[in-house]
Amino acid sequence: MADKKETADKTELTDNRATALNGEVTVSTKAVNTEADDTDAANTKAANKGQQAIEKRIYALKFAAILCLVCSILLTGASVGLKPLQLENMEIDRQKNILKAAAILKSDANMSKDKIKAIYQKNIEEVVEEKLSLYLYKKPGTSKIMAYIIPIESRGLWGKIKGYLAVKNDGMTIAGFTVYSHSETPGLGGEIEKNWFGNNFIGKKIINDSGDFVSVTIAKGDSDDLPAEKKEHYVDGISGATLTGKYLSEGLRENLERYETVSVKFRQNSF
Amino acid sequence: MTSAKSELWQTFTKGIWKENPVAYQVLGICSALAVTVQMHTALVMGIALTLITGISNLIISIMRSKIPSTIRIIVELTVIASLVIVTDQILKAFFYDISKQLSVFVGLIITNCIVLGRAEAFALANPPLPSLMDGLGNGAGYGLILVIVAFIRELLGSGKIIGIPVIPQWLTDAGYSNMGLMVLAPGAFFVIGLLVWLKNSLPGASHEEKTGQ
Repeated sequence: MADKKETADKTELTDNRATALNGEVTVSTKAVNTEADDTDAANTKAANKGQQAIEKRIYALKFAAILCLVCSILLTGASVGLKPLQLENMEIDRQKNILKAAAILKSDANMSKDKIKAIYQKNIEEVVEEKLSLYLYKKPGTSKIMAYIIPIESRGLWGKIKGYLAVKNDGMTIAGFTVYSHSETPGLGGEIEKNWFGNNFIGKKIINDSGDFVSVTIAKGDSDDLPAEKKEHYVDGISGATLTGKYLSEGLRENLERYETVSVKFRQNSF
Repeated sequence: MTSAKSELWQTFTKGIWKENPVAYQVLGICSALAVTVQMHTALVMGIALTLITGISNLIISIMRSKIPSTIRIIVELTVIASLVIVTDQILKAFFYDISKQLSVFVGLIITNCIVLGRAEAFALANPPLPSLMDGLGNGAGYGLILVIVAFIRELLGSGKIIGIPVIPQWLTDAGYSNMGLMVLAPGAFFVIGLLVWLKNSLPGASHEEKTGQ
């Protein structure tokens, strides 16, 4: 009898733990408890049945715990173990994008990591001007600045868009534009990271003929359809991605406005 | 031995054509709409899904006698999600450019009902090898539909095939213009709908015919 009581106690204990998982368990415990007042034979049978059900639950819990443990170890291992490699890749991708924006690298160039690093170190200088960080493209061996590269951070339709915009040393002509991080819809807004889109920016002006800041805007559709005076401030839009274009245009304007003080210096040739 | 082999082969081809996940089981439609604007992305998505469905089917089939039935869906999802995340991490570390191209698609694989559907419907009840073949077959079937839809959408919507313009200049000069509808999601609905209709009206492929036999 004492033995049986112990089993009942045990079942109750484990059941409390399992209740959270399944309400059904509580019911089966109650069944065990009421039947405990019945005859001995029925008692043992019910207890056995109940115990089997509980063993099943415990097994499920154990299985889940082991599975979770294995999966979390696997994920942690993959994440921690591969992190240095991933960070290096990201850094190189960033450098590659700066080089692409400044048109030092051809947009479809396929190079080894070390080569990109070397080219980056040779050509690019990171400076802080007027409390704004920017990258200068200097021709190797000379101190002549060919272009300056502005980091762009813009709102997108689904998340942040990050990229680089290179402006020539005249302070008004865009030399290139690249996007290295975004979460826009692939095939639609995601096209902003493609070379053809970035290439559209080359040669566009951020100021108009009278010298006022106008930024550069992504047109709704083809920029060829626009009047001539607007053409040099507009780039071709992406069909099916009007909102991405709108947000990116706003972002470009904001960023370029912030860097106007730097751009003005270039225009006055006083950098 | 040969019969076992041909059985495996049948399991594989069943997923590609007769019980194609998109056209017959009507699974994975959402992602079929999202990634079929260009053939390139469709192809990559098809390959990625084929591999993941195959491996997840294999793992779940190996564990099938041990998985408690009460929590089997959770177990299946845990396995699939872990697999996808690890794949994503490896891609980011060793194939950064490819991982950038895939971007959100890799994460989307977790939510693709084909992977869970095959684990639930096939891997839980069959030995590892047929399960692997079933996963690969279904992934390939999904990829096949994706590529066909993407071919039609890219050709009509952007006038390109795998990114190469194919519409000759004289046609454009004569007033031809791309079909904007094909670039948008509704275009995919029409194309997939027509494809399912076409497939099921071919002899020996329709559901009605099969149940009638």
